[in-house]
Amino acid sequence: MNADNAKTFGRRDVLKGGGVLIVRFALGGVWGAGSTGRVSTGRVELGPYGPAEDQVDSWIAIAADGRVTLFSGCSELGTGSSTGLLQIVAEELDVPFERVKLMLPDTNRTPDQFVTSGSRTISIHSRPIRQAAAEARAALVDLAAKRLKVTPEQIITRDGVAIVRGVPNKKVTYAGLIGGREFNVKITGKAKPKSQKDYTIVGISVKRWDIPEKVFGTFAYVQDVTVPGMLHGRVVRPPSHGARVLSIDEQSVANIPGLVKVVRVADLVGVVCQREEHAIAAAKALDVKWSDWAELPEMKDLHRTIRGLPEFTSGYPKEAPGGVLAKTGDVETGLAQAAKVVRATYLSPFNHHGSIGPSCAIADVRADGVTLWCGTQTPYGTREAVAKFLGLTNDKVHLIFAEAAGCYGQNGADDVAIDALVLSRAVGKPVRVQWSRADENGWETYKAARISECQGGLDANGKIVAWDARTFGMSGYSRPGYHEPKHGGEPGSLVTAQLAGWDKPGLEEGFSGAAGNFNPVYQDIPNRRVVFTYLGSASHRQGPLRIRVGSMRGVGSPDNIFVAECFMDELAAAAGMDAIEFRLRHLPFDRGVTVLKAAAERAKWQTRPSHSQPASGDMAFGRGVAVVGTNTETSVAGIFEVAVNRKTGVVQVQRVVIGHDCGLVVNPGAVRNQIEGGVIQSISRALKEEVTFNRSRVTSLDWASYPIITFAEIPDEIDIVLIDRPDLPPMRVGEPASETVWPGVANAIYDAIGMRLRRLPFTPDRVLAELTRS
Amino acid sequence: MAETKTLRINGKPVVVGPAEPSTPLLYLLRNDADLHGPHFGCGLGQCGACTVHVNGEAVRSCIRPLSSLGSKDEIITVEGLGTSGKPHKLQSAFIEEQAVQCGYCISGMIMQAAAFLKKNPKPNVAEIKAGLQNNLCRCGTHLRIIRAVKRASEV
Repeated sequence: MNADNAKTFGRRDVLKGGGVLIVRFALGGVWGAGSTGRVSTGRVELGPYGPAEDQVDSWIAIAADGRVTLFSGCSELGTGSSTGLLQIVAEELDVPFERVKLMLPDTNRTPDQFVTSGSRTISIHSRPIRQAAAEARAALVDLAAKRLKVTPEQIITRDGVAIVRGVPNKKVTYAGLIGGREFNVKITGKAKPKSQKDYTIVGISVKRWDIPEKVFGTFAYVQDVTVPGMLHGRVVRPPSHGARVLSIDEQSVANIPGLVKVVRVADLVGVVCQREEHAIAAAKALDVKWSDWAELPEMKDLHRTIRGLPEFTSGYPKEAPGGVLAKTGDVETGLAQAAKVVRATYLSPFNHHGSIGPSCAIADVRADGVTLWCGTQTPYGTREAVAKFLGLTNDKVHLIFAEAAGCYGQNGADDVAIDALVLSRAVGKPVRVQWSRADENGWETYKAARISECQGGLDANGKIVAWDARTFGMSGYSRPGYHEPKHGGEPGSLVTAQLAGWDKPGLEEGFSGAAGNFNPVYQDIPNRRVVFTYLGSASHRQGPLRIRVGSMRGVGSPDNIFVAECFMDELAAAAGMDAIEFRLRHLPFDRGVTVLKAAAERAKWQTRPSHSQPASGDMAFGRGVAVVGTNTETSVAGIFEVAVNRKTGVVQVQRVVIGHDCGLVVNPGAVRNQIEGGVIQSISRALKEEVTFNRSRVTSLDWASYPIITFAEIPDEIDIVLIDRPDLPPMRVGEPASETVWPGVANAIYDAIGMRLRRLPFTPDRVLAELTRS
Repeated sequence: MAETKTLRINGKPVVVGPAEPSTPLLYLLRNDADLHGPHFGCGLGQCGACTVHVNGEAVRSCIRPLSSLGSKDEIITVEGLGTSGKPHKLQSAFIEEQAVQCGYCISGMIMQAAAFLKKNPKPNVAEIKAGLQNNLCRCGTHLRIIRAVKRASEV
């Protein structure tokens, strides 16, 4: 602990917003406004990264009335994962679910849990929370034993009450034991969490805590945070990715009512007004002269450009020198001896995250410290990044997480914080900056475009004898904060900091997230060479291809699985074999076999080679499969049934069957919701979505130029076979199922029309082009 | 010129402004009436996150100017549709079906659905899809939303 930065923060006032008078702000949903009683009287020492992780009081508080608060370091991204965390705490503590509420990330109150991403809230970040709850329960049992003058072994706990076994009237409530006081207990790891077989709250479909507030319109998203004296800011972004400010004519906005200030820091330009509509008008009217810049490639040359980008060699980890993920046997010999050789090149575009609510942040920069409300996934990383940007120590910045619209990865949530801070610093008042739709689409990060090249060989018996795959991939990590176990953050990862003249580099830890599962899961391939050629990160303001990339739902995995599972399907078809039978023949991992068989059974999969159904009329129908996972991770098989209109080229996914094994299922209802959502979103990306750009900038700046799936286009049914494995720990949920969609749909289209769609998205014109070619 | 105006919102008169006649209703609801149920999504009338009712019709408040509204127009937001104490049947159905992920589009979905359920109280699935065709959801909650609207229509 750095003594200089250490301070204590009384959590006595947790419901009052910690001294900040708040007009509208939900404290994580929680023991909401109007509730009485205090959450805690505990005092927790704060280090540079918040409360110490090894103290029970940092995680759990029990109020005088027995209500429990979990202090979670995980952001809630609209997935419902925080409801799962509450179930886990209620389970370990033996209190009713309704009595446990949540404090979402707040750098004065919650421990650092690094980055909420990669579907890891339940699979990874719940571990210290579960342990803290188990330690809290153990401490309560000890206190009860002393109070009731028995041994701890004689104490059982139920519904927030400690009872002497066999003597039901000898009991004491948790509130009576510790309510309103701190535990002062160190987390030693000695307390043993419950056995999963004894769970009664974990494993049931508890309704999400946040949904009622969301349907009644009372939920406070970050866009809804309101603080006294708050002004409204908007930004004016360059008309091209590389443009610099030449001049600003402030007279152009002189007639805007309530204009407080025009702000410029290097190329970060913004306006601040009393009223929101005036800030919008001022941003539109402000006459800024920008330098010309037009160095992006033609869109038609995108993949050729990516293929020729310089390799980012220093980004390779020790275990994958040169980006080589696998090398066994000798692929050249394997290919030379093969009875059949298949070659294919796969292309994918940039994707927008497409959050329905553009990014927003509220900053209050004062001489004695900064308060920032932000929808970040990296609370402490972003706190440190913005502190560095402002030239302050971490303790001078109080970051309060507020949930944003679903982000599905790194959108503009952190970037907009810099905008709000810069504008607030300039006017000395709290400022809310709401990005426009065009700001979001134009300046967020995008899922990186890809080009991948495969060749494979089959022997005379239809066994794979060679698999040679290479992909050219960019970073999947452009965040301002680190993954665990490294604390801290860097402003250089934020495009707004770059606009404001910050020229030090950002974080670079993108290879493993992007490369991940490019190596196919099939064990029985004697000659294999799998290479992920890493091209590093890119921003609108930096790099050889100035289009900003970052993480989006699965990071590199959707592209990796698209290539691996499409190519597997191509080999199956070349071998004249059924797609599932072919996969099973090549020894996928055990849990993969289970989900494949479960999905096939539910889908009533008929064993036959692909594209063997006779066509009739304009409509062609097909089915495709894809599988993802490993024996230690979530394993999913997806089966997709499509209809292809051969006249219009329109593909409709009609039915989806998902076989899903994510270990222990904490909340089946919430898991199904996430699977359905991931599947539908990925169908949208498979069939419709492509970021467009000209030589100067991204041009898909609204929903007309970047259409996403609508009600008319969704499948009739998503049938999920949820395989509960209470013998295994809980594993990732939000991403894996979605990764089966692109290849599954591509393979189904092949089954329907006999043509391979190797370039995403599978738009009607591309389908028609293939049909014409045939 | 900017003017102060009294609008009828959720059954009560609310003074908004001073604001220019071109000011979109959305900002008056959010900043002057302190009703945050309607959300800013695109400002272009493309996504539906800002949907409210004006005289029973679902409208996009982000492009509906103040000049088009008078003191007799009945404006209803999701907060006025129902409350936790007295929920609208759609709100209850959305909770029952857990038809929410991030929820940012949901108030607009509910308002859109409430308007068409008035005209078509017993819609089939195709009609529900058609009714919500211009409201976007990015989380992929569509199947649950359809189930929730169906459930509400059967109450």
